[in-house]
Amino acid sequence: MNLEKVVFGFFLILALTLNVGFVIGDIDNPAHHPVAEFFFVVVVNIIATILKLGDRSQIGALLLATSLVAVLQLVVAAVIWTHAVHVSEHGMTPDTMVDIVSLASGALVANIVSVTVLVAETLMMRR
Amino acid sequence: MAGTTGSQRVPFLVLRFMRRPILLLTMVYATSMIGWAVIPGPEQRPDPMGFFHSFYFLTYTATTTGFGELPHGFSEAQRMWAIVSLYAGVVAWLYALGAIIRLIQNRHFQAALAERRFARDVRRLAEPFVIVCGFGNRGSLLVRGLSDAGLAAVIIDRDPDRINAVHLRDYRIPTPALVSDARVPDRLAEAGLLRSNCRAVVALTDNEEVNAKVAVTACLLNPEARVVAQLTRDVHEETLATLGADIHLIDPFHTFARHLAATIRNPAVHMLYEWLVGAPNANLAMYADVPRGNWIVCGFGRMGHAMQDAFERLGIPVVVVDPNIAPDQAGPKVIAGHASQRTLKAAGIDRAAGIVAGTNSDADNLSIVLNARALNPGIFVIVRQNRHRNRALFDAAAADLIMQPTLVSARRVLFLLIAPLLKTFFEQVRESQVQARDAFLMDVITQLHDVVGGDVRPRLWTMRIGDETPAALARLRAEGCRITLADVLRDPAARDRRLPCVPLVLRAGDGWREVMPPLSHVLSAGDQVLLCGQEHVPHVLQATLENDYTLRYLMTGIDAPRGWVMQWLLRRFPRLQPAAAP
Repeated sequence: MNLEKVVFGFFLILALTLNVGFVIGDIDNPAHHPVAEFFFVVVVNIIATILKLGDRSQIGALLLATSLVAVLQLVVAAVIWTHAVHVSEHGMTPDTMVDIVSLASGALVANIVSVTVLVAETLMMRR
Repeated sequence: MAGTTGSQRVPFLVLRFMRRPILLLTMVYATSMIGWAVIPGPEQRPDPMGFFHSFYFLTYTATTTGFGELPHGFSEAQRMWAIVSLYAGVVAWLYALGAIIRLIQNRHFQAALAERRFARDVRRLAEPFVIVCGFGNRGSLLVRGLSDAGLAAVIIDRDPDRINAVHLRDYRIPTPALVSDARVPDRLAEAGLLRSNCRAVVALTDNEEVNAKVAVTACLLNPEARVVAQLTRDVHEETLATLGADIHLIDPFHTFARHLAATIRNPAVHMLYEWLVGAPNANLAMYADVPRGNWIVCGFGRMGHAMQDAFERLGIPVVVVDPNIAPDQAGPKVIAGHASQRTLKAAGIDRAAGIVAGTNSDADNLSIVLNARALNPGIFVIVRQNRHRNRALFDAAAADLIMQPTLVSARRVLFLLIAPLLKTFFEQVRESQVQARDAFLMDVITQLHDVVGGDVRPRLWTMRIGDETPAALARLRAEGCRITLADVLRDPAARDRRLPCVPLVLRAGDGWREVMPPLSHVLSAGDQVLLCGQEHVPHVLQATLENDYTLRYLMTGIDAPRGWVMQWLLRRFPRLQPAAAP
């Protein structure tokens, strides 16, 4: 057993599960997409990205790239959310929620790729 | 003359063949256009046609379609001229087309085109390749072996049928082939002799003079390339030795005789050879017993002297049976006559350990095998198969070993090309003391059998350690790590297991060679290791040598943290350090 693999796998899979939990629900219904869950999705994704820094192998580079994609999409979603609630005079509308959830769905795809690559690499090592 | 190469000859031939037709076409067109330029048009537009319109008219009528009288209706005089110019044009075009067809069918033109294609294919070869002159039995066996090993081959042969045969084979490598005389240096140059990725030149034609010429040409034009030539040893050795390059002579009789003698001494040699080359029915588990005692050799023909030498050097007691022995040479050790039951009994077959049916007639050899088996069922039988197409007969004859002289020498050439270090291995086998040799061979075979597997098709390849390559190995060495053969040969999937692979020969950077190097050898720049292993091992090994993490894990048994965060954590809290695997 390898401590790094445990920590690494934990954060990668947690990022995926939280992301799924956030995205599920009616796409335009703000009540189905709690802000707290979104906060954790962003934080866990950023942690997973930081953990990937420094790996010089090919697989490591691929994992880092997918994580960066996920974080980028989530950060954009967060900016839209903040703007809607604090800056815009309309507040959170269904249209804005659709934008946020579709960006988070994109991040979900990146997270699925990450976990798939992680599992594939572990299976290939066979130890 | 340099102007005779195919690529330059094609435009020249086209010009020479097409000169007259093009001249005629030009004349016909010019005459017609001059006519159009002076003949007046109809009453409404009495001016003659301009050059542009007349060329336009000639162009669209040349295809015999014709759109009518364009751009304006013609006068009667113009119509008369149209008749003249159209017939003249058709004749000129027919003549030109005929000339083109004659050119395409011309034998020299086809040869020039083939040469041009060949030169282009050779230019496109980016990978290392071997030039093979002579695509006979040995040549085709060799190219098949090269194809299995993934080394490209450029083929030259004088016989067009053989070259056509090249294109029908399913080689996995590019094989540009040309009908040509290999004695012409320009042809060898076109075959890529001067290129830096030309690894070797092999001359295997039936004509020794051609082979010698090819060897000399190759040595002079490209000293970097290895040269292998099929030549009778005593005649040419001195001449070629003066060139001082990397030349290997292959004397088929000599090679076969030596191989046969080594096999009689210990059949494991032949079996190991067959197994290394991946012969279909080779199995390391067979022929573990060495038959001791007298041998009978039937057939003392063309390779007689080479055989006698080889036997004497090895100290093997041999009785020879051959019809072509002069009566005054006959004696208890040399029996004149065909190998019949009578002569075999006289040679002492009931007490002999083994018999070689080595005549140059396959029918004779088969009858010797049957006779020998009838007289002494337990005898070890080696039979020489001369013609490849008789394989079914020989398989049915139940000999212990079947040897094909062409196969033996083709494989020797193949090994010289794909695994040069193997020569060192067999030299060591040949030169060591009798007792030590048997023990050594058994040791090697046992290792190969246990580690690689007796019935798998093995792969031979050379691992080269450079200053910068392989990347991960070089980086770790630069950090001061001592990486041994044992480290890199561990299985990345399970560190305590070993890859199914055995290092056969090590050639250190300073030229020092060691057969069966110890696994504790520390790899350093300039090392070359000849490895023999299962098909997939080269890929696994390559991946290991390019990946720092895998290599470090194999050396230490510790999966070092890859990310900066974990590296920092482990420095901060050393207790978290993973335990080293056993």
